[in-house]
Amino acid sequence: MEAIEAVDREINKVLNKFENFKSQRTQTLQDLIQCLEKTRTELSDAPDEDELAPSHSLIMSQTCLNIKDTLNQIAFEHKELHGNVSKVGKAIDRNFVSDFGGIMQDMMSNDKNMDKINQVICEHFLRHGMLDIAEEMIQETGLQIDETIKEPFLELHRILEALKHKDLQPALIWANENRIRLQAKNSCLEFKLHRLKFIDLIKQGHSHQLMALIYARNFAQFAHTHCKEVQSLMGSLLFVHQGLENSPYSYLLDPYLWEDIADIFTRDACALLGLSVESPLSICVKAGCSALPPLLNIKQVMIKRQCSNVWSSKDELPVEIDLGPDLRYHSTFACPILRQQSTDTNPPMRLTCGHVISRDALNKLANGNKYDTYLYFTVCSHGVADSSVPIVQWSRVSQMPNKYTFDQI
Amino acid sequence: MADLKALEHPTLKVPYELLNKRFRAAQKTIDREVSKTQIAIDDLDRCLQSSTVTVGQMKTALDGVVEKLTFLKRKSEESIQEETDAAYVCKKRIEHLKEYEVSHPTQEAQWKKKRLDRMLVEYFLRCGYYRTSLQLAEHSEIQDLTNIDLFLMSKEIEESLERHETTACLQWCHDNKSKLRKMKSTLEYNLRQQEFIELVRQDQRLEAVGHARKYFTLTEESQLSVVQRVMGLLAFPKDTSLEPYKSLLDENRWHSLVEQFRYENFKLYQLSNTSVFGISLQAGLSALKTPHCYKSDGSGKNTDCPVCSKHLNELAKDLPYAHCAQSR
Repeated sequence: MEAIEAVDREINKVLNKFENFKSQRTQTLQDLIQCLEKTRTELSDAPDEDELAPSHSLIMSQTCLNIKDTLNQIAFEHKELHGNVSKVGKAIDRNFVSDFGGIMQDMMSNDKNMDKINQVICEHFLRHGMLDIAEEMIQETGLQIDETIKEPFLELHRILEALKHKDLQPALIWANENRIRLQAKNSCLEFKLHRLKFIDLIKQGHSHQLMALIYARNFAQFAHTHCKEVQSLMGSLLFVHQGLENSPYSYLLDPYLWEDIADIFTRDACALLGLSVESPLSICVKAGCSALPPLLNIKQVMIKRQCSNVWSSKDELPVEIDLGPDLRYHSTFACPILRQQSTDTNPPMRLTCGHVISRDALNKLANGNKYDTYLYFTVCSHGVADSSVPIVQWSRVSQMPNKYTFDQI
Repeated sequence: MADLKALEHPTLKVPYELLNKRFRAAQKTIDREVSKTQIAIDDLDRCLQSSTVTVGQMKTALDGVVEKLTFLKRKSEESIQEETDAAYVCKKRIEHLKEYEVSHPTQEAQWKKKRLDRMLVEYFLRCGYYRTSLQLAEHSEIQDLTNIDLFLMSKEIEESLERHETTACLQWCHDNKSKLRKMKSTLEYNLRQQEFIELVRQDQRLEAVGHARKYFTLTEESQLSVVQRVMGLLAFPKDTSLEPYKSLLDENRWHSLVEQFRYENFKLYQLSNTSVFGISLQAGLSALKTPHCYKSDGSGKNTDCPVCSKHLNELAKDLPYAHCAQSR
């Protein structure tokens, strides 16, 4: 990206110049020293009281002048390097934004807020298994974290670590304990854990064949839900001798199954514990990083057009920010005519033509105002009997329930 | 890519300012040593110009010049090495930023995780949670990418100010004299005033007067009234209850000195007063905030939505909602 390229270029230039300066000028100075030392050695043979030969004098004077010139040059050259150094700074200032003022009111100056933020960060660390960092943080900040909050995270982390080391036992115990709740959520976690254990036994070859068979009894409870899979697993027993790699069942050895199980476990455990799958802090900061560039842009535009007082940070952000489908947790309805979000006082209303608009828009149409009727034409092209008559009649309006989802339309 | 432009200015600017500082120090060193060497050469020259010059004198003069030249060579090598090191820190950070562009999904997730850790380290440093930040930086291997050294240095000075010692801070003011002067900083002046107040507190009023003579003579017009009040303190006992002298003797003045130092330190390195983490968190909360998260009957809550989670819900209460012009 050109911002980075620009700064990179300048830095490379600076590094080059410094390296050159260093190698050349160190050599120059070394040469001067050696030259003087040579003269010194020549003189050391003669006794101290002797007068200096005029030829020597002349040469020495000349050398002095040379040395002085060289030194001045060195100092000057170093000074010149400043141009390159400051270009780096200029490139950084030109290509990166340094000022965040005026975008948000400062939430951080409030102590209570700081406490809540620290709680969120601490939970983030616990969730990611950075337990010693969380401990250090609790000590340094004086946070009060309930042991009951820590417990589920610690257990989650313990089981995940075991899974990373291909130890299924803790996960199996946990799945067993929570079987009923998992079944209520149609989770296939326990089955997949048993399957992995079974594959593990088969992998160990002929010696473990009997053990594998006995273990397969665990699949009995899954006979209804995972019939086909159980059948293929039993079929794989045929290939214990020659090894699964050379059989049609080689897909069972795919390492992806281990990544998958960690994922499934995290998902199901979090769902059971009422936690979100990903750390709220990560998601928030991710969203913030995507949101900042458009906000900074709009701030620039507002400053240029001198309407910065239009943006009061009380109600809504000034610009729509698309965070992508992953970061959408609530479905929202926005009236296609007025382009506003619906609220409890301004709910969506479904018309008989099938389109949905907000109640405020509906009221405007019902007023019979020609302009507003034309507005509606942009949304619905049929059902228009007469350009001067609004296509909506009160008796045919039905109200949508507040929990609006696209699927219901 | 746009988020790099928006967020990474401090990442690059701070090592740049360090490079600048080292450059200026190197230039000073080189100039100083060059002029010393030139004095030695002038001595040698003078020897040569005189009518009679012995070999002995020559030898001594030559020795002098060689010694100075060697010293110059060593000093300039050290200085340039420091400058190059600072430039390499900049380079390393640029290289890290470059990784963002070329990565594919898993690497991108890793890079973003490192970014969050970088932001958290800086947030901890700004709050003063030094041990946590050091541990986190070590855990994520991001020590080179964060400005820990800067904050640890300022931590030392802040702690000395808390102990009511002014030496370290005055040394810092001296080291950064030219830039502070450009910023029209009053920190050094305030430190001297505080020293005066401390002398009065210890009933060393004669020393206080001497101190004032030394440091308050160059007062500017705007500061005059302040100085007058401080001087007036001489006339009152240290446990006086009369304003404004009582507040001059207040211990909290040290806290405001700490804050002033922190503010000016940040300004020197072009750091803003809010951390990047704080801004991103707020922007993210705002962008995710919908009326569903705040329905009074709690019916709209989604466990995956960060704004619906307990603490963030309270934090985001005063923030603006996300703007929504299209149904999603």
